[in-house]
This record gives sequence, structure tokens and C-alpha cells, in this order.
Amino acid sequence: MSAVQNKPETHEPLTPAMFHVLLALAGDDLHGYAILKEVELRTGGKVRLSTGTLYGIIKRLLSDGLIAELRSRPAESEDDERRRYYRLTPAGRQVAATEAERMDEVLSIARSRNLLKRTRTA
Amino acid sequence: MAAKDSHATRFYRALLRLLPFDFRGDFGPEMETVFHEQHKEAGRRGGATGVLRLWWETIVGIFRTAPGEHLAMFAQDARFALRMMRKNPGYTLAAVLTLGLGIGANSAIFSVVNAVLLKPLPYEHGDRLVTLQQQAPRAGMLNQPFSVAEINDYRTQSHSLDGLVEYHNMNFILLGRSEPERVETGVVSWNYFEVFGVKPLFGRAFRPEDEQPGAPAVLMLSYEYWIRSFGGDPTVVNKTFTMNDKLHKVVGILPPVPQYPDENDVYMPTTACPFRSRPAFIANRQSRMMQVFGRMKPGITVSQSRADLNSIAANLQRAYPNDYPPALDYSIRTSSLEEELTHNARPTMLVLLGAAGFVLLIACANVANLNLARMVRRERELAVRAALGAGRVRMFRQLLTESSLLAVIGGGLGLLFSWGALNLLVGFAARFTPRAREIHLDSTVLLFTLAVAVLTSLLSGTAPALAARDTVVDGLKEGSAQSTIGIGRRRMRSLLIVAQVAVSFLLLIGAGLMLRSFVKLQHVDPGFQPENVLTMQIGLDFTKYNTNDKQRAFFETFLDKLQSESGVKSAAASMMVPLNGNMQMRGDFQIEGQTPVPGQVLPVADFRVVSEGYFDTLHIPLLEGRAFTRTDRPGAPDVAIVNRAAARHFWGAQDPVGKRFSTDGGKTWVQIAGVVGDVKQYGLDKDAVDEIYVPLAQSPLLDAVLVVKTTVEPTSVARGIIELLYAVDPNQPAARVRSMEQVRAESVAAPRLTSNLLSLFALLALTIAATGIGGVMALAVGQRRHEIGVRMAIGARPGEILRMILGQGMALALVGIVLGLLGALALTRVLQRLLFEVGPTDPLTFVGVAAVLSAATLLACYVPARRAARVDPIVALRVE
Repeated sequence: MSAVQNKPETHEPLTPAMFHVLLALAGDDLHGYAILKEVELRTGGKVRLSTGTLYGIIKRLLSDGLIAELRSRPAESEDDERRRYYRLTPAGRQVAATEAERMDEVLSIARSRNLLKRTRTA
Repeated sequence: MAAKDSHATRFYRALLRLLPFDFRGDFGPEMETVFHEQHKEAGRRGGATGVLRLWWETIVGIFRTAPGEHLAMFAQDARFALRMMRKNPGYTLAAVLTLGLGIGANSAIFSVVNAVLLKPLPYEHGDRLVTLQQQAPRAGMLNQPFSVAEINDYRTQSHSLDGLVEYHNMNFILLGRSEPERVETGVVSWNYFEVFGVKPLFGRAFRPEDEQPGAPAVLMLSYEYWIRSFGGDPTVVNKTFTMNDKLHKVVGILPPVPQYPDENDVYMPTTACPFRSRPAFIANRQSRMMQVFGRMKPGITVSQSRADLNSIAANLQRAYPNDYPPALDYSIRTSSLEEELTHNARPTMLVLLGAAGFVLLIACANVANLNLARMVRRERELAVRAALGAGRVRMFRQLLTESSLLAVIGGGLGLLFSWGALNLLVGFAARFTPRAREIHLDSTVLLFTLAVAVLTSLLSGTAPALAARDTVVDGLKEGSAQSTIGIGRRRMRSLLIVAQVAVSFLLLIGAGLMLRSFVKLQHVDPGFQPENVLTMQIGLDFTKYNTNDKQRAFFETFLDKLQSESGVKSAAASMMVPLNGNMQMRGDFQIEGQTPVPGQVLPVADFRVVSEGYFDTLHIPLLEGRAFTRTDRPGAPDVAIVNRAAARHFWGAQDPVGKRFSTDGGKTWVQIAGVVGDVKQYGLDKDAVDEIYVPLAQSPLLDAVLVVKTTVEPTSVARGIIELLYAVDPNQPAARVRSMEQVRAESVAAPRLTSNLLSLFALLALTIAATGIGGVMALAVGQRRHEIGVRMAIGARPGEILRMILGQGMALALVGIVLGLLGALALTRVLQRLLFEVGPTDPLTFVGVAAVLSAATLLACYVPARRAARVDPIVALRVE
């Protein structure tokens, strides 16, 4: 099996949902349900992923090498053996960062055009 | 609660089935867990609304995800399949070509079936149109036309029709162009096209005032004539042309619709026909010349309409007993126009579609076999893939993707084939139906081709995919000798070979029967000699040659001049030429000495007008008495010549020469001067009818066929004869210039083309099956090299090995032939209607086909068998 070289700039554009999943995993290694909860929490319930959408995204991110499945499992008592944990790869981190920077640039343009009422402190 | 949860889980699991197998395999259990938790929480926090919302979001999410995942899976499979195809170009080429031919044959024939048999008539009211015919079966009259009085009666009295229109054909002469031109003209009621539901492409249709006596002469151009003669120029509308003695104005151009009963160049209203307009003609209820079409009121069936029209017929018979002798038992035959236009084509087209289907089956079997053969070489690869976790469904899907790719490429190739064959097909179908010009590769044909391709991929892909199952199990077994695995697969291969041979046998029988039938048709004695005879149609200008004397004078002058033309041996004019029979002049007569009994049917025969040299020119033998001579003129006693069939039928053992008959109830008598041989007027496959010939000098003709016996190749003198015609009358055109051999060939064109097509299919089948059987034997030999080596090492001679391999191949072929024979015995009955003097179980054909098929398979097996016999035991044993 030949290793696929993952260059962030060659990827297809991230969908907002994919970006959210990457953001969720940027903090911690999470299992599927936790990703859903995290995304919902961070967006104040505005983004709710369904299982179909989530695992479609996970499959994409896995095959693009942006996330990886964890081999070692947390030894917590509540660990369900059917759960799998995912972690952001360095490539995934870079893609997420690139996307965040791109958005930041867009935001500063929007600010300079007075399109944003409140400016949040970074 | 637990029960409710498991309900939800089960439903969710069912929902997951929408996702590709692999996806489910990878994430299914995990998704279930996640959903389970979501479900719990939704219930806890949002109650029933929360659960409903979750379900809604989940269902939408799955439906959004599934198509993309399936597509991605297919793309991956397709990429892999294409790579496999590139790695095996020989296999790919063989499979694509085989499928292309199989699919192409089907889409080509289907394009004909679709246009001719499936699509509704391209008239707006196509499904409500009927043809009407008067019939008096007891007098042998099955399709009598109508008179003006009858048309008026049926039109006004019918309750089932909301339109009734008439049609007859005549010819005009178009003048003012470089040469005079015969223009075939349909003479119709003013509302003819309105009743059919045909709107003009340009200009207008006829109006009631166009059909008034004395109205300015108008005409509509048929689409084909407009394209052919005016290059499709729409400005021709409103232009005037001199036809015969009058200016005619073009008022409209018809769209491309099937023309029935004749292909006409132009259409005119009934008042354009001087014969149809004569008061005496209109007054005579027995002047029957016109065909009639009706449009049924909405909701009326053909049989309801028939009942309605027959009650009118019964009333008319009571009212006019002289015009409808009770003995003749007149009635009305009604059939749907659609049926009328297509019934000739139906049996042939369905047989061809069946044959094409068989070809496709053989192609599928062959590709399945190729796949199975390849499977042997791919055993390792498939087993490795299985070991790496590719599920059975996954492998099945991969193999089906490969076969559908092949089928789609084959389908594309097939479409190319049928596109290339389209013009030939239109020409072929035109022999059977006026609907041929509707044949196109339209969306229905494309859809059909796609469906056939899908079916093909299933048929050719399933067998190897099923066989892949034992591969998964057996393929990796340590040291599994190739001869021990896949016994089921080998049996499947044998089965496919047997099926191919059996179906090939069926097709060969079909083709063989058609060919035998055609050869028999070719050897029918037509009763005349077609060699070195030129024919051309000369329709006199009816306005100029408006008396018997003028018509007679024209033909006498012209024929006299012709006799001295170089290359001409003899010449004559006739009402029609043999084998081209569509013009019937059927009439009854009274034989002298037989007093007609009131209520009894009089003898009926076909009357033909011929000039004096006719029998000589066509070498129709004079059996008794004399032929017509110069002395048979007006004023001299009326004479006739009967054919042998009429002589036997009406005069029995007596010599008819010198006997007399009357066609006008005994007012005048015609004496029989001679008896000539029977001639096939209506086709080589039709029996000769009773015929009475009368001399042209005594009953002149307007529209005649010139027949010229030449001493040279007949068409080479055509131009000279036409110049001679112009010398007699520069405004008199000749049309349909053909040699009698051409007339004869055209009369059997339909069966010839049908047997050619069937032979092509059969040959295709034979080739595919033979290469298939050869390929399978070659593979078997390759796999058994070791075994053969052992046999030879322990003393088997090459000859024995050769015989062993041949024997095994031929055993399969033999089983196929026996099965095919049984199938043929059951199936060839459908060919019966297409066959001439050959039974559907003709022993000679069956034996011949069995021999051909055996020889072909023997040859196909011989190559691998010889290779087997040349196996060097030392090399073969060392290989393992």
C-alpha cells in the first residue's frame, strides 16, 4: 500500500461541517458521540450533525489523512468497546490552521468594511 | 423503554442499509452506538419533539450521505476495473466486441420495432383511424373500393364515425422543367388531412372551396417530393406549375408522415380528377374506384364501428338490389389503420428481434465464459483481496462493476453499429411498411440499449461473481492444485458452452430455413422470361389523349418506331408487368351457353389489357389458338386470350378456343382466340390467378407499362427509348425505368433481406460460439498440461491425447446440438408464415445445420487439441 502524500493545499475545500469536526478534534481526542456534542456545544446548538453526515466526514478525513483512529484506548471504566477515538494528525492540524487563517483574513476585510458590528478580542 | 430502544435501533440499522456495504462495515456499529446515545439524550432533554427532530435530522443526513458514498465506491471499483481491462487487452477487446455486436444487433432491430410496431401512428388522430373495404367474399372480392354514391351514404348515415374521407391515385405530368415528369398524385377529400390530424408544414391544407367544381387547381406537396424536387425550399408555396393542361398552385407542404396506401408526390382535391368528376361516374353506384378512411368518434371501438357500417351496408342492399346482388352478400370490412400499416412487418420484425435476443444471449454466455476463464488466472488476486478483508458482497460488487463497464462500452459500440446500419434498416423496413421513415435512434432506443447493457452486465457478470465465492475459500489453500479447485466453475463453463451451441443451432436453423425458402422462391418458374427485358411506366396525358382512338394511335405509333430501334427485339405495352401486381381489374363475366341463375355468383377473373407483341416479348408460351394480331382492331370481332388456369377453371376439359363470354350481360360477346401459360402476377410465392387478356387495340389504356425485349443489356437502351418517346410526344414522360430482372429481384427483396439478416445473426452466433468453445478447450488444455504430461509419460500417444480433447469438446457440442434441436422443433413454428414451400422442421435444413455446427466446433477444438498432443511430457512435468 503506497502512502499518500498529504499536502494541505491540494485538498478540496473544507465544508463548514468538516471544519467544525477538525476544530472539535483540535482540543482533544474524541469518539464519535463526543464530536457531535462538542460541535453542538461550541456552536451553541446552531450546528447539529447527524450520524450519517458525521461518519461521511470522518471517512473523508480519515482517507485524506487529516485525522487518525487511535490505537490505544482510554482505560476509563465507561469505555464502550464499540467506540472509536479519533485524533487530529499534524496534517489535519495544518489544514485546520490554514482554514482558520483564511477565515481570519476574510474577517478582517469584513471588519474594515464595517460589516461586523462587534469585534471580538482574539 | 428497552423494547422501544431496540425498535429505534432496528429502524436505524435498516436505515443504514442505504449506505454502501463497505461504509456500513467500517462505521455501522459505531454509528449505532452514537445514535443510541443521541436517542437517549434527545428523549431525556427534548421529549417526543426532541426524538422526532433527531429522527428527521438522522434520516435526512443518511439520505444526503448515501449517494455520494455509493458514487465514490463505484468510482473506486471502476478505476480498478479499468486497470484490470488495460492489463488484459485481448480479453477486453474480445468481450467488448462480442457485447458490442450482441447489443448492436438488438438496438438496431429494436429501433425498427419501436418505430414500426410500438410508437403510435404519427397522425394526431392515429388511434381513431380505420380503413373501410367493401367485400363480397363469395365472389372472391375482398377489398373492393367505393363509389361516390356509396361514400356519400356511409358519410351521412354513419353514427360511429366523425369523419370519412376518400382517396385514389392518378398521375399528372409536370411540364416546364428540363424534362416532362410523371407526378404521382393522391386525389383526396378536402378534409383528408384534417381527419388524419396532419397539419401542413408550410402553407395551408385544402379548404371546402378547393373541392368545388371549377375551382382553381391547387395541390399540396408531400414532404419527400418537396425535398427531392425542390430541395426543401419553403418559398415554393403559392408558386404555380403547369400540370397537364392547367396551372396548379402549391398551397401547402405536408410534414414527413407515412403515406398510405401509396407514396405520392402531390395531393389534389377530388375535383382535380376528370374521371371522378364526370356526372355519369358520380351517378353510377357501381363506379367503384376510391379507398375510404374513417375517423371513429372518441371512445368508439373498431368492432362497434364495423357493426354500425354493416347495418348501413344492409340497408343499401335492400334499397339497391341491382347494385348489390344478394348472392354476393356484400359487407364492410373495417380495420384500424395502424394494423393496416404494420401487419406486414410484424411477423418478420418479431422474428428478427427474437433472433437478435438470441445473439445477445450467446454473447453474454461467451463473455461470462471469458470472465470465468480469467477468474482462474485471478484466483490468487481475488483470494488475497478476500484475505485482506474484502467481503463477499464487496467482491461481487467489484466483479459486477467490471462487467457493467464492459457492457456499457459494448453498448456504446453497439449503438455505433446500429447507427451505421440505420440507412440499410430503413431500406429494409420500407419493404414491409410505409412507417420505415420513422426509424431513428431516438431516446427510447437509447434507453432500450442502456437497459440491454445493464441486463447484459448482470447476465455476463453474475456467473463469475458467483463463482468467485469458492475462490475465496479455496484459493489460498496450501498447494491447491489447479485441477482440484473450481469444479463448480468448470461445470458452469461447460453449461455455458452447451447453451451457446444450443442457441446457435436455433439461429442457424432459422437462417437455414429462410435461406432454403428463398432459394426455392428463386427457382419458381414465373411463367415468363425476365432476361433482357426493359420496362418503363408510360402514363399518357389524360387531357391530351382523351379518346380511345388517340390512346390507341399513340401506342401504335410508338411501338412501331420502337421495333426498328437498334438493340430492340420486340416491344409491347401492358396494363402491368408480372411480379409487380398491385393494379387489379377484377370483373365477372357470363359464359355463353351457361344461363346465369339469379342469385348465383358469376365467374370472376382478372382482366388485363396487353398489346399484340406482349406474349412474344415476355416469352409467355402460347398453348393453344393464336396470339393477338394487327387484325384485332375496333370494328373486328372482340377477342380475348385466357391463361391456362382460367381455361381449366371455366371450361374444364373443353377447348376454350372459339368459345365466347360476355361482360355486359349478353349484349356483346367476346371470342377466345387462344390460351397462354400461367404467369406469376402477384409474386413468386402466390399462385397464378384466372386471367383474361384483351387486346390494347380494342380496349385502350392511359397508363401502361412498356416492355421491351432487347438484344443487349436492357438498361443500356433505356435512354434511346426515352428519346424515341419524346420524338413521338415531347411532353410525355417515362417513369420507373427498370429491367425485368430488377422487378423480379425487388419482388423477392423482403424475403431476401430477411434471410440475409437472419444469416448474419446466425453467422455471428456461430462465430462467437465456436471461438467460445475453442477458448474454453484451450484453457482446459492449459490447466491440464501436467495431467497430459503424466498421461504421455505413462505411454499415451499424441493421437490419443488429440482424440481425448476433441472428444471432450465435441461431447459438449453434441449436447448443445441435441438441446438446440429440441428447441428448434418447438420454436421454428413462428417462422411458418415467412417460409415458402419449406416446412418449419425441414429435415434437410436440420441435418445440414447440425453438420455445419459440428464441423465448426470440431475445427474450434482442433487447435487446442493439437496443442495438447504436442505437449512435451518432460517440460510439462517439470513446470509443476
